[in-house]
Amino acid sequence: MAIATGRAGEYTEPATPWWSGRRLRFLVVLVLLALFYSVSWRLAQVDPGKLVTGLPKMAGWATKAWPPATDELPVLLLRTAETIAMAAIGTTVAALLAIPLCIVAARNVTPSLALYYPARWFLNALRGVDSFVFALLFVAAVGLGPFAGVLGIALHTWGSTAKLWAEAIENIPPGPREAAAATGASRLKVVAYALFPDVAPSMASVGLFWWEFNVRASTVLGVVGAGGIGQELKNSMDLLLFPRLLTIILIILVTVTVIDHASEWLRRRLE
Amino acid sequence: MAAVVVAAARGLTKRYAPDVTALDDVDLAVGAGEFVAVLGPSGAGKTTLFRCLTGLTRPDRGTVRVDGHDVWSGPRELRQARRAVALIFQQFNLIRRLTALENVLVGRLAHVPTWRVVLRRFTRADRQLALRCLDTVGLLDKAAVRADQLSGGQQQRVAIARALAQNAKLILADEPVASLDPESSATVLQSLRSAVGAGVAVVASLHQVHLARAYADRIVALRDGRVVEDAATARLDVRAIEQIYERSGA
Repeated sequence: MAIATGRAGEYTEPATPWWSGRRLRFLVVLVLLALFYSVSWRLAQVDPGKLVTGLPKMAGWATKAWPPATDELPVLLLRTAETIAMAAIGTTVAALLAIPLCIVAARNVTPSLALYYPARWFLNALRGVDSFVFALLFVAAVGLGPFAGVLGIALHTWGSTAKLWAEAIENIPPGPREAAAATGASRLKVVAYALFPDVAPSMASVGLFWWEFNVRASTVLGVVGAGGIGQELKNSMDLLLFPRLLTIILIILVTVTVIDHASEWLRRRLE
Repeated sequence: MAAVVVAAARGLTKRYAPDVTALDDVDLAVGAGEFVAVLGPSGAGKTTLFRCLTGLTRPDRGTVRVDGHDVWSGPRELRQARRAVALIFQQFNLIRRLTALENVLVGRLAHVPTWRVVLRRFTRADRQLALRCLDTVGLLDKAAVRADQLSGGQQQRVAIARALAQNAKLILADEPVASLDPESSATVLQSLRSAVGAGVAVVASLHQVHLARAYADRIVALRDGRVVEDAATARLDVRAIEQIYERSGA
């Protein structure tokens, strides 16, 4: 239907009947969403009453936790350093392993589709298993301690970094690469010379993000026995040493905040 | 033409669908030191012609020989042929974060060992050649400037220097000045002109008739996939060329 101009130079607006497909679809989505949340509410066993009765207990812990314990500060700081080191080594190993994988897993530069799909499956499998779960397995294999955490972080981050890097590579405009390939240069030369400079800043940014993320994640890894400050956290919780627990939580807060800001500052400088 | 034939296409035919003919029995020979302008309205087959010449699109019929290599007789021959051809793009396609000099060195990639490329350590001879090419296009003073800091015209001249550094026999330029202002267009075409002076063959598709007349030795006009004009610039009259656009645009 053509939109004709009516009287007095006014345009006739295209009419939308209330039963139009768009509105029906909107209604269906609304009903489905309501259903989804009501089922989820029940499955998650949400019970605000329990929270209300539990809060005083937590308040009791909080009063018992003050003042935070300082006598073991050197040990706790050493454990924190352990956590940061785990994250740094794990992330770096993951990044090195991700370099070849991300090239194979990027559709626009992969040497062959026969490698591309297995590479995608492989990194999705690595990504699908959390570093926490990997660490659990490695504690059983290599024993308690930060090394298990390093391995857990490295495996999960390997997949995650490779995926994000592959996506960064796929988002690079093809022009400069085609220009280099048109000179008769081999694929490896084209990737190293024409693609890498364009993608390096976003790769570094992703790498920093994962280091920062892993520092946060590895505070928890200790809970499964994979070393670091998380292990002290669990011990204190088990023994109900609340002042010590508070000290640990404060140390984690400060560390994570400092590293978040440092990483953010670095990433901003890369852009 | 008197000079050595650098590139020759014979009977090129390409259909994208049974009823969409991009090229219809096109013959084109380009000699060393010749500047050929390809004119024609959008959809006339210019881009398909360029893609066939570089081995990016396979013609349904016909042959392409570049520098003595048959483009369609296998990957080895294709690579040999490609080394002899340098491409210039409408969108320049420089590596934004590398300097002008490093971009010109892209022209050397096929000639140096892989480790030199990965470490970005080129020989003194290659660096000197690249600087000479930048000097040729008048951008020696911008050698250390990052590509994304250069103007459009300067970027296209760096792209020409990159093509020169390839020591190519033939430079193909698909609408090299379509996204440039008139002044930059003139300097870019002047740079191509001086490459021709050094014995390189240039084939450039252009949209502006007056630019073709000012810079090209020969004008080839395409319409609906057929060559409708192929003559020395001096012998063509303006009206004939302008009709190519009019009839098709109607």
